[in-house]
Amino acid sequence: MSTPSTIWRSHKELNNYLGKQGKLVVWTKILVAPKGFENQVPYLVGIVQFNNERMPVQIVDCNESELKINQKMEVVIRKIGKAKSEDVIEYGVKVKPRS
Amino acid sequence: MKIKVLGTGITKFGELWDQSLESLAQEAALEAINDSRLTIDDIEAVYVGNMIYGKTANQDQLGALIASKLGLKGGSLRVEGACASGGLAVHLACQSIQAGTYKNVLVVGVEKMTDVGTSEITSALMGAGSEMERKAGLTFPGLYALMAKTHMEKYGTTKKHLAEVSVKNHFHASMNDKAQFPFEITLEKALKSPEICSPLTLFDASPITDGAAAVVLSSENDGKGVYITGSAVATDTVDLSDRKSLTEIPATKEASQKALKMAGVDIKDIDIAEVHDCFTIAEILAMEDLGFCKKGEGGDFIKKGYTRLGGKMPVNTSGGLKACGHPVGATGVKQIVEIATQLLGKAGKRQAKDVKIGLTQNVGGSGATVVVHVLSL
Repeated sequence: MSTPSTIWRSHKELNNYLGKQGKLVVWTKILVAPKGFENQVPYLVGIVQFNNERMPVQIVDCNESELKINQKMEVVIRKIGKAKSEDVIEYGVKVKPRS
Repeated sequence: MKIKVLGTGITKFGELWDQSLESLAQEAALEAINDSRLTIDDIEAVYVGNMIYGKTANQDQLGALIASKLGLKGGSLRVEGACASGGLAVHLACQSIQAGTYKNVLVVGVEKMTDVGTSEITSALMGAGSEMERKAGLTFPGLYALMAKTHMEKYGTTKKHLAEVSVKNHFHASMNDKAQFPFEITLEKALKSPEICSPLTLFDASPITDGAAAVVLSSENDGKGVYITGSAVATDTVDLSDRKSLTEIPATKEASQKALKMAGVDIKDIDIAEVHDCFTIAEILAMEDLGFCKKGEGGDFIKKGYTRLGGKMPVNTSGGLKACGHPVGATGVKQIVEIATQLLGKAGKRQAKDVKIGLTQNVGGSGATVVVHVLSL
C-alpha cells in the first residue's frame, strides 16, 4: 500500500532510472486490472532487461502491434495508478519504445 | 516420514453467499474429525491455511477463531504462503507430529473470496507479488501470461495446448459434485472465451471461490489407510523478473525431489497427482518441472491424454483449481483430500484405477513457494 512516506522514499530512487535503456523480454496486455488501475484498461506490461537487472514495468506510448521481443526500450517517469487517499500523486518508472 | 491421514473433509466449492469463513471451516473440520473417528478432545492442535481474509474482512487471528469455534483449546495458528498456504499448513502439521509435539492435528484450509469485488480480490492476491510488480499494474493472470507467452515463443506451445488443460479438468470436475463448475466444456468454447490477459483467456484461469478442506493427521501407524510419506517446501524469488528463466518454476523441481527422496520413491512411481493449475500454463509447467515429461513437451503430454482419467497417470481428478475452484488458502489441503480419497478407492465416478502412490504440488505466487507432498497406501 502506498502512503505519503512510502511514495517519498520511492521518489528518491527515480533519478537512478532516468535515461536507462533496455530490451523487451516479454509482454502482456492486461484487461482485468487491480484497484487503482481500472481506468487504464487495457494496458501493456512487460519485463525489460537492463544491464544487470530485469524489471517488471508498464509499457506506454505505443500499441501492442508495434512491440517485438528484444525491442529497445527507454525509461520514462510517469504517474502510477490513481492519486491515493491523501491526494499525493505517485510517480514511477515506465518504458516506451526507443525512438 | 509416515504420517497417517486419519480423516478428510471438504465443503462445496463455489460462490457460497449463505456461508461465512467460520461456517465453511467448521463444516470441513467436523467432517474430517468425524471421518477420523476421533473426538474433538483428541485433537491437540489446529493449523489454519489462509491467505487474504485479513485484508478482505479485516479479521486476523484465524487459528484461535477457528479452534475456538470447534471448542478446541490446544495449539492453534494460521499459516500464510500465498496460494500455497494450505500446503504449508499441512507441511507444518507433519513437522509437529514428526517432532513428537502432537499426536493428532487438524489442518483446515479455508478462503472466503466472493464477499468483495473482482478488483479488490485481484489487488489482495497481488500481495503475493513484489512491490515493483504491483506498481507496474501486474496481476496474477498477468504474471502467468508472461510465462505462457515465453513458453509459446520458446517451445511452440499453442493456445490449443492451454485449452486442452481446461477441457480435461472440466471433464474431471463433471464427476465431482463438490466442484464449482461440475460440467464439461468443449475445446471450441475454451478457445473462444474472452481474453483476460494476452495470451490467456477466461477459460485459462481458475475462478474466485469460497470453500474449505480439512484433514486430521496422526502419528498412528497401524499399516491401514493412507500415509503422507514425503513433505517438502522450496523457495524462490517473489518477483518473477528476478528469475533466470520464465519457462520453469525451479522450486517445483527442488520441493518434489526432496519430497520424493523422503518418501523413497521415484517420480515414475507416481500413479496420480493433483497439481497447481491456477492457470492452464501452470499445469503444463508442473508436468515438465515435476519430471513427468521433458521441458517444452508439457502441452503435447497433456494433449495425448496421459493425464486424463483412464490415462496412465491422471492429473487433477478433482477438476483442479480450474474447474473444482481455487479458494486460495484451501487448495493445498483440498489436494491432500483428493489424493487420499483416490488412494482409498472412495472417489466414486471419478475413481482412478490401481492407484497406490500420489503426489500433490501447491504453488504460492508466481513460484516463490512450492509445497510437494507424497502420499501412499
